[in-house]
Amino acid sequence: MHRVSKPSISLRPTLLLLAPIALALLAACTPDNAQSTFGTAGPIAEDQANLFKFIFWIAVVVFVLVEGAIIYASIRYRQRSDSDKRPHQTHGNTRLEITWTIIPAIILIAVAVPTLSQIWGQQNGVPTDQGEVVGVEAIGHQWWFEFRYPDNEIITANELHIPVNRPVAFKLNSQDVIHSFWVPKIAGKVDMVPLNDNFIWMIGTEPGVFYGQCAEFCGIAHAHMRFRVIVDTEEDYQAWLKGMHTAPDAPTPGSPEASGQQLFAVNCSSCHTNNSTAPGSYAQEISTQQARWNGWLEDTENASIVSAPNLTHFGDRLTLGAGLKDLNHDSLVGWITEPSSVKIGTRMQQHAAVYDTPDGRAKLSASEISDIATYLLSLKPGTGAAAEPVDDGGAGTAIDAEAVFITNCATCHSTGADKVVGPGLAGIGERASGRVDGMSADEYIEQSIREPGEFIVPTYPAVMVSWSKLGDDTIDALVTYLKTLK
Amino acid sequence: MTTTSLTFPRLFPRPKGYAGIWSWIGTVDHKRIGTLYGVTAFIWFLVGGIEALLMRIQLAKAENTFVDPETFNQLFTMHGTTMVFLVIMPLSAAFFNWLIPLQIGARDVAFPRLNAMSFWVFLAGSLIINASWITGNAPNGGWFGYAPYSGVTFNPGMGMTYWIVGLNILGVASIAAGLNFIVTILNMRAPGMSMFKMPVFTWMTLVTSILLVLAMPILAVAGIQLQTDRVYGTNFFNSLGGGDPVMWQHIFWLFGHPEVYILILPAMGIVSEVLPTFSRKPLFGYPFVVFAGVVIGFMGWFVWSHHMFTVGLGPAANSAFAISTMLIGVPTGIKIFNWIGTMWRGNIRLNTAMLFSISFVAMFTIGGLSGVMHAAPTADAQQQDTYFVVAHFHYVLVGGSLLGIFSGIYYWWPKFTGWYLNEKLGIANWALMFIGFNLQFAPLHWVGLDGMPRRIYTYAENMGWEGTNLAASIGGFILGFGVLVFMVNVLVSRMQRKVAPADPWDGRTLEWATSSPPPPHDFDEIPQVEYRDDFWFKKYPETIAEYYGHGDDDPAVPSGAQLDEAVDEESVPVISGGAYGAEATESEHGHGKIHLPDQSYYPFILSIGLAIFGIAFLTDGLVLFAGAPFFIWGLLGWSMEPVNDPEPETP
Repeated sequence: MHRVSKPSISLRPTLLLLAPIALALLAACTPDNAQSTFGTAGPIAEDQANLFKFIFWIAVVVFVLVEGAIIYASIRYRQRSDSDKRPHQTHGNTRLEITWTIIPAIILIAVAVPTLSQIWGQQNGVPTDQGEVVGVEAIGHQWWFEFRYPDNEIITANELHIPVNRPVAFKLNSQDVIHSFWVPKIAGKVDMVPLNDNFIWMIGTEPGVFYGQCAEFCGIAHAHMRFRVIVDTEEDYQAWLKGMHTAPDAPTPGSPEASGQQLFAVNCSSCHTNNSTAPGSYAQEISTQQARWNGWLEDTENASIVSAPNLTHFGDRLTLGAGLKDLNHDSLVGWITEPSSVKIGTRMQQHAAVYDTPDGRAKLSASEISDIATYLLSLKPGTGAAAEPVDDGGAGTAIDAEAVFITNCATCHSTGADKVVGPGLAGIGERASGRVDGMSADEYIEQSIREPGEFIVPTYPAVMVSWSKLGDDTIDALVTYLKTLK
Repeated sequence: MTTTSLTFPRLFPRPKGYAGIWSWIGTVDHKRIGTLYGVTAFIWFLVGGIEALLMRIQLAKAENTFVDPETFNQLFTMHGTTMVFLVIMPLSAAFFNWLIPLQIGARDVAFPRLNAMSFWVFLAGSLIINASWITGNAPNGGWFGYAPYSGVTFNPGMGMTYWIVGLNILGVASIAAGLNFIVTILNMRAPGMSMFKMPVFTWMTLVTSILLVLAMPILAVAGIQLQTDRVYGTNFFNSLGGGDPVMWQHIFWLFGHPEVYILILPAMGIVSEVLPTFSRKPLFGYPFVVFAGVVIGFMGWFVWSHHMFTVGLGPAANSAFAISTMLIGVPTGIKIFNWIGTMWRGNIRLNTAMLFSISFVAMFTIGGLSGVMHAAPTADAQQQDTYFVVAHFHYVLVGGSLLGIFSGIYYWWPKFTGWYLNEKLGIANWALMFIGFNLQFAPLHWVGLDGMPRRIYTYAENMGWEGTNLAASIGGFILGFGVLVFMVNVLVSRMQRKVAPADPWDGRTLEWATSSPPPPHDFDEIPQVEYRDDFWFKKYPETIAEYYGHGDDDPAVPSGAQLDEAVDEESVPVISGGAYGAEATESEHGHGKIHLPDQSYYPFILSIGLAIFGIAFLTDGLVLFAGAPFFIWGLLGWSMEPVNDPEPETP
């Protein structure tokens, strides 16, 4: 019989089999890391970690037994010298086979029982006996998160505020591709599927700031699609809710903030809303966001409008670019100057007219960019009173033209006589009728909304875009509303 | 002998002989086709490995800018696609081709020309997918191609089209190969080799082939639907048009999970050959190992939604798929325990092949255990789409499939080539791959549980992920160095050329009964099989009683009656390729009188046609007309070509 001589090797490398387990055991040692699934701050994540640990320790036992047997057999039964011994040619052992079929089955049943109980505990609806439930709609966008609070008529982006120790029920959706909503320390992930509502609930048990990140590959900026969850005390949460309906104080005329406000209105506001503090602006923001999305879909290469994060009270945010950078004046200036250099793939630089330059950088001076940054950072709840919810008197679906105005027009137009970017609109109903021969006030105002370029009041910049996207009914209501301004 | 009356006019003479490139293009020899598969897949293995290393460089430190995000997305898409479809599957196919006829005592596969076509079509598909690198349009939507991101709205480039067209062409190759091996194994076994006397590798090949035939059409359907979504504006998965992106996931994973077993079962078969040989014992619990493999192949169809535990299928579906997924751990465990049982009380030779096989069992166990951890949907909610999952399936596919394949390479290399691989370099090869692999993938469990998502091209400095990622990157390069040592080993051993005998390892199965390398006709005489591990028991008849002594225990023990029946001369398949009844006889030694199917260019020509059809989808529909002549020429020529040209009358 031809045989090759046995190579002699040390058996020490087999001890390396132990390396993976040693490393795995260390895994539980970094609970302080921002996205560790172990240092949990909520019951959902805690239960999930406990289930993992339960299975893990069972696996460790199995691992030690199986790898131990492999190593033992490799050493104990290895060929010694050139022994040509033929071991007993056993065919097997039925009793052993039955044993090692049944024992793993029993172990797996032991794993399955807590697993199933946890599935039904976590995925079968939000508990109603653990405090008043907060409802939030979370919407994934390439590549940022939008958060809507329908009960409070609040929309914000990339930073989610939730009250401590109260269940929060999320309706998850996506505007474009599949994303995944994940706050490792508070709850495992659920995917955000376009046009297909998903559901998740969570409770944050410790006030603080927690990291979230999109977990489903969603395109070029997937790595930079992050968010923060701010778990507030009940008091802070109520203050935040109130603040989100309190308009910022108006900038002092002549200040950098005032200059920034104008520049923002001209260059940024067709994609970014920043003033949805007023009652009624909630529904408008939703339809506006949809309109922006449709604008991108119509021409994904050259769209002039894309859906973009709501920047209301941006000065209160912690981060920039969907959890990408700490928010401060420097980082914001860098972002505005050349957003794609901070976050590759962001649509801002590709689509906004202000970046339509040979080098792709904003066609704004350094001081103008600085003013915009200063203005945005100044956006915080002001000293005025919070807006009271509008009682629409059971009008149902009637269009709230004032809200339409606040959401879409107020960035550039005041309802008084003062100039912002465009003219103040007090008394527009009277002025309009004489502007163009043969046009009634109604016709003139409607034309100014639909085709603002047709007639520009002298001394004003021709920057207004067509607002036909608001729809006929809304525009009619808006015209009627504008004529009431005195 | 009379000739066939209908022949297709030939532009080229039919290839003859065993030298020169044309003999390879026209070959229908299963061994040469196996070599073609092996060499091609190994080249793609290097490509896929380089793609992996580029990613590991990028991720070695936080905020790295070694590659841009678009390139990174292309790299992980192509790495996954390459390693699954162009490396592990064809490397397995190389073993199927080389070994199945040898293990079952046949002279070729059932359909030798179809077999050749499988390879050439595979080559075409692999070239088309990788051509995307050259045209600058590498696919970037992930090897899983999730809709709607893979749709044209969000992914307007040509990359995903390359991916779909390539995969669909590869699917043709896989389905044809699967059918071929099912028929071969069921019909062409040597006389006396009942199903339960087949080597386990042959069994696993049979199960894998059945999975291929059933799973690849599902991928083809999904691919065609996605393609029509992209090109013709249908709305199967396009959510903007009312399509259902989740449906893509169901269809993809209904293919994708059986695919996992397509990737691992061949390696399980290899290990089930290597462990007994180098333990000098029969496989422990043969029928249980075989049944476990069959059960895994069957249950693999009922677990697909565990890839989708976070998609929001609801508690009922998640519970059902959690249970089915955990259940599949039972047959997997049975295999592992029986492999250990095989080593137990053996006389274990720790050479390279054996070390790779033992490592397979050890590493696959880890992959199996982490698999149970994400079989629990709520625990998986934290693990899904993190590096924990990456670590898991690399323990299965690298620690499992790839180590198993390397074990097979070292084990059968003397049979394939007639010379040994160098054992010292082999041990170095094993040690580097083993250490590198563990250093690369063990830390990824950790970083996954630390919340690092997959498929991110970079990460922030303050996340605590840098150390583990650096370790993984270093491990990756050690693993890569191990592969380099393998290549050096092949060159060095080829120069040393230590000649191997027919049976270098004191083997157990029929492939060791013929010379190394085997003659074109494999066996001078078709073996008569009486026992499981027939070759061993013929060598050591005194051990027959040890194995078969406890007949009552063993459901597969042959009775004398069965044996006699099986050796019935009338049913002896002498020669493959439909040449039964020709004048060749077993008693004729030497190549001259044994009829093998003649070589043929037509599979190659037909594959050119198919490749051009693929290119048409990437360029212009009119290109179809350029492919049609090749396709029709190949098809007609093939169907009218006799298996053997008539031999010139001997005077």
